Amino acid sequence: MAFSSVEATQKDLEKCDYICSENIATVVFLAHATQKPILVEGPAGVGKTELAKAVARGLDRRLIRLQCYEGLDEAKALYEWEYAKQLLYTQMIKEKINDVVSGSNSLSDAVDRIAAQEDAFFSKRFIQPRPLLQAISSEKPVVLLIDEVDKSDPEFEAFLLEILSDFQVSIPEIGTISAVNIPFVVLTSNNYRDMSDALKRRCIHLYIDYPERDLEEKIVRLKLPETGDRLIGQLVNAIRGIRRLDLKKKPCISETLDWAQSLIALQVEDLSAQVLDQTLTVLCKYRSDTEKVRDNLKTIVADTGSKWSTLS
Amino acid sequence: MVNLVLKFAACARGGGLRISTSEVLDCVGQLELIDCLQEPQFEAVLRTNFAKSRREQHHFDQLYHLFFHELRQDFGIFHTDGLQDRMEEFLAVLTPENNAGPLDRALLDFMAGDPLAFLQEMGRIQGEGEGRRQGMGSNLGSVTRRLGVMLQLNRLQAAVTQFTDENIDRIPWEKRKSLESHFNERIESARRLLLQNPKPAGENLKKIISHDQHLADLGETAFVSLTQKEVEELREVIKQLVRKLKDTAGLRYARQKKGVPDIKKTLRQGARYQGIPMEIIFRNRPLRKTRIVTLCDVSGSVWSAARFMLNMLYSLQECFTRVRSFVFVAGLDEVTEIFEKNEINQAIEKVLGEADIDYGAATDYGLTLRLFKKYFMDVLNKKTTLIIIGDGRSNYSNPEVEILDDMRDRCRRLIWLNPETKQFWYSGDSEMRTYEGSCHEVRPCQNLNQLLDFIKDLVL
Repeated sequence: MAFSSVEATQKDLEKCDYICSENIATVVFLAHATQKPILVEGPAGVGKTELAKAVARGLDRRLIRLQCYEGLDEAKALYEWEYAKQLLYTQMIKEKINDVVSGSNSLSDAVDRIAAQEDAFFSKRFIQPRPLLQAISSEKPVVLLIDEVDKSDPEFEAFLLEILSDFQVSIPEIGTISAVNIPFVVLTSNNYRDMSDALKRRCIHLYIDYPERDLEEKIVRLKLPETGDRLIGQLVNAIRGIRRLDLKKKPCISETLDWAQSLIALQVEDLSAQVLDQTLTVLCKYRSDTEKVRDNLKTIVADTGSKWSTLS
Repeated sequence: MVNLVLKFAACARGGGLRISTSEVLDCVGQLELIDCLQEPQFEAVLRTNFAKSRREQHHFDQLYHLFFHELRQDFGIFHTDGLQDRMEEFLAVLTPENNAGPLDRALLDFMAGDPLAFLQEMGRIQGEGEGRRQGMGSNLGSVTRRLGVMLQLNRLQAAVTQFTDENIDRIPWEKRKSLESHFNERIESARRLLLQNPKPAGENLKKIISHDQHLADLGETAFVSLTQKEVEELREVIKQLVRKLKDTAGLRYARQKKGVPDIKKTLRQGARYQGIPMEIIFRNRPLRKTRIVTLCDVSGSVWSAARFMLNMLYSLQECFTRVRSFVFVAGLDEVTEIFEKNEINQAIEKVLGEADIDYGAATDYGLTLRLFKKYFMDVLNKKTTLIIIGDGRSNYSNPEVEILDDMRDRCRRLIWLNPETKQFWYSGDSEMRTYEGSCHEVRPCQNLNQLLDFIKDLVL
């Protein structure tokens, strides 16, 4: 079985192209063993969403994703009545309704007869399941990713509590629907605002930071095996140097990979200041950042400890 | 094992982390699943259950290190060579004469390896000043109490030396040495605890320093050094921005239009097609209203910038429906109404002239926060964005950072705008370093570009 111990978890995730520290593996293992949701925090681009995807691959489950945003409500996240369908059905079976009420001799009798059929209109047939309901009512266990939960409104967060602690949802017209299989839940947050204590209490907390040097090298090697060892070392050193600067947006792992890929495309074997200068646009997403890195090119060069050709 | 975790949880609570019973239960349950002899895993379990945000993690790491490393590192030795007995003997010597206060007992417990009482004491000292309502707000109280603890620690150290000296014949040399170094280490870690304020790691804090050049020259000129003509130009730019903001707000409305279906309208529409509802009409959803609360420092040190800040407050209030504005020096007054009723220039003159504030007084952020807590705390809720505008220069009075923490907990986002040059932020009587840890975001706001960046970030 997948994810049977901490070490196994680390290996399983690695098989799914996700290299992680022991800390991350421990948390994933625990979440799997105790069926608790994980709340993942960390800067943008360190692989929070990727973690959920890797877990889904590792457990061979379907990934259901709910992207949160301001104004997200139950109708978008949980379920919605298909009003159009309901109304159209009403129109189409008008005659049938006439049949049902035809024998009644008073108005209240007719209403009673229709009331007896009410379930026909408020049944699962007319419910359009949204991600949360899909995840709960799925026959096979799934991985549910609630992405950027900090962007949602506090009301929505409170509404999540029922699902996260009991894995059930209440639909007033039908009743409570309990989970067929308990999904593996991953919530991610960019720390835009603090989550409530109640939500935090129900989750296992995980903070993912920029990876250590070795880990980052390993990641580049795994994702882009054609990169030369020498280049990987220089690359990662340069990235770490750039991260130390005070930038608007620090380059994250995905940018490291993009950069490595463009270096391969340019057939660079040895990183030089010129190459760095030319390919900065891959790393820096703001003009001010680009200028800042350019100003500090010399320091980054010195820090990598490799031989650099001069900028002349 | 359970006892150990319970003890650590109690200590962590004493040290200021919020840990609920269910989290302890989870933690104990999870420890059974992992290999506890592997320290990284053990630590990961504790951390994942006890420190549930980035801000708390740094604090957790300190406590973890103290509890599992500094205080327990030589457990093994104790039982083997009778060092434990000597320690108990020493502690027994100290106990009767020093049975005076809770602090002494706490310190002795700490020496014996139980940091709970000491941590609680520390927590009390750091929270000092919160309960006091009258008089000069100052942090003198916590300083003197810290001094008391410091003296007590020195006394303890002297006692250790004395004890080893007195028993020079009875205890062999190596044991005396290890005993002494053991105690000194503990005293040292107690001292470290005393001196450092547990502050969250600042790396996660969003600090925005903008270099974009919008209006190349004008934008970069500090508010302080603007001529009258430039002031007019700036007003014009701000006006443009506000117009743009209104457009964006309109766009947001359009995108999020769809709410619940409007049955009445749908049926009426359906009447055209023999009662068949061909088209479902949805009710418009009202735009989510951002609530903004602003606290603006209008004291002498930020005088030149204050006008612009007020200008900005006014624009904000025009753009959003629910803005409440406060100004302060050493006291606090709400100026929302003045802004609502008057034209911009008049409003600013009125605020600077008529608000119920002593403009000559020395700025006191602590007092301001205390007053805010007393009268206006209900203004903040999870929908509010709180913007504080000021240089954080509090004339060495008590910064009352706990109240700010409290405010952060209550609002959606807490943003600090500082009209001072960044180089001076941490100098002199500036409390920026203290306040920084409690904010979601800290920005310099000296010139138009930075102001524009901020407003855009806030709304767009």
